[in-house]
Amino acid sequence: MMAESGDAAARESLRRELGLDRPIAVQYVTWMGQLLRGDLGRSIRNGEPVIENVSRRIRPSLELAVLAMTIAVLVAFPAAIVSAIRHNTAVDRLGTSFALFGICLPNFLLALLLIFAFGVTLRWLPISGYVDPLDEGWSGLRSLVLPAVTLGLALAAVIMRTLRSSLLEALGEDYVRTARAKGLSESVVIRGHVLRNALIPVITVLGLQLGTLIGGAVITEYVFALPGVGRLVVDAVFARDYPLVQGVILLIAIGFILSNLFVDLLYGWIDPRIRVR
Amino acid sequence: MAGSIHESAFAERALATPAEAGVRDRRWDALRRAARARLAPFGAAVLLAAIVIALAAPLLAPYDPLAQNLGNILARPGRAHWLGTDNVGRDVLSRVIWGTRVSLVAGFVSVAIAATAGGVLGMLAGYAGGRADGVVMRLMDAVLSFPPLVLALALGAVLGAGLGGVLVALGVVYTPTFARLMRGQVLSVKTREYVDAARALGASGWWIARHHVLPNAATPIVVQASLSVAFAILAEASLSFLGLGVQPPAASWGSMINAGRGYLQQAPWIVFGPGTALFVTVVGLNFVGDAIRDGLDPRLTR
Repeated sequence: MMAESGDAAARESLRRELGLDRPIAVQYVTWMGQLLRGDLGRSIRNGEPVIENVSRRIRPSLELAVLAMTIAVLVAFPAAIVSAIRHNTAVDRLGTSFALFGICLPNFLLALLLIFAFGVTLRWLPISGYVDPLDEGWSGLRSLVLPAVTLGLALAAVIMRTLRSSLLEALGEDYVRTARAKGLSESVVIRGHVLRNALIPVITVLGLQLGTLIGGAVITEYVFALPGVGRLVVDAVFARDYPLVQGVILLIAIGFILSNLFVDLLYGWIDPRIRVR
Repeated sequence: MAGSIHESAFAERALATPAEAGVRDRRWDALRRAARARLAPFGAAVLLAAIVIALAAPLLAPYDPLAQNLGNILARPGRAHWLGTDNVGRDVLSRVIWGTRVSLVAGFVSVAIAATAGGVLGMLAGYAGGRADGVVMRLMDAVLSFPPLVLALALGAVLGAGLGGVLVALGVVYTPTFARLMRGQVLSVKTREYVDAARALGASGWWIARHHVLPNAATPIVVQASLSVAFAILAEASLSFLGLGVQPPAASWGSMINAGRGYLQQAPWIVFGPGTALFVTVVGLNFVGDAIRDGLDPRLTR
């Protein structure tokens, strides 16, 4: 916002204007005071309130998150169930290797692989940019496919790995033998008895992975030029727009903590025994 | 973070080996399990190769990693340039080799920072208890309330560009995991009889902490550290992909991949060289971490 060579007087007056000449403690108290009144300050770059900068970016991020989550569940659940039922067969090994790859393959690399395959070579899908699927429908969905697959596969790998081993554990329980013995069909046993009991560890891992997932969303939005909150963080960091960085990161942390709370509440919904009295 | 993914896979293996044995047998079992893990040798080979490549980078790299050759840009992989050249004619293989240094330093140093800081803080919290415990652990909770990559990004931005900033940022981000682990261990170890015995013999608090509590609480820290290295390497690559960390023209895998992003169509090898190196290293380190955990995790040697 100021050339390196700006003269001393101008620098002094700017410092005073931004409150940088006051002690850190005073600056912090001022910032907290404004925060409590819902004022996160203004972006240095465009002068608009931080809140407005963020709220404009929330929609793409949420759409990405929902799509990625859908893809993750659609891939991970069938894969884990097949892997667990056909334990120690070629299918199982294929599934577990897929999971390992998904965990070790960094997000940005997967993104570039997908861009290389579907965007550059086959030219099926757009490789960057964003059209809102709620406005444009089909072409909007197309613009979100690659980002959502990138983010979704990483998540699918984690879910699949956890679900597979908790399914295996549940399959060995007495109540499964009982259910089979009383003549329930295998699909009813899996759906009603095994799957439900195997869900708790998956929820735990999902909760623990939330942070990683948000980090992945930042990278994904950056690679695919999606105008979401993650992209805003990266841009703000590199523009040295400190009020914006502070504000966005605070809001992300709040969102992160709220999602963790939501995950904790899910426990009670899935397993009534865990409800807090 | 890393632990959670592996935990359940281990619970499963633990079921398969219900062993009750003496201390000597248990050690032997631990060793055997580590060796039996089919993938450990591959992981060890990858790690060894990466260390050798990092140390011998000046000898191994066929070209100067910074030397541009504008007459030979985006050259296909071939006999002269095994992995091709990039958009300013630099040899991709040489840059991958030099980038190994950055990745390994990032992985090991940031985990060392986190394990040391977390170990000391966890020790303090667990051993001293009371107000120190409260202050330290609330501080750790504060760090944990941010998504790791986002926090590292912000810290890296404040600390300034360069590898040092990223190392410290990642160190801070990983510290709470180690602090919590250490605190839990210390809390359980400090109630053991041998600690009471040492105290009855007149040992000072410091002596007990150093000679009795620390050695007995350290195993999970080592396990966690070995599992964290792979994730730290990934994190450094992600940050340098975004533009933090080692600054151009110096080579790091993440920044090379970012630079090659625009040339996916004409020269995908700019991305695939460092991408493969990164992937293989992370997979290998994961296997090594798993094997170390197999060998040392006390929960498996019930």
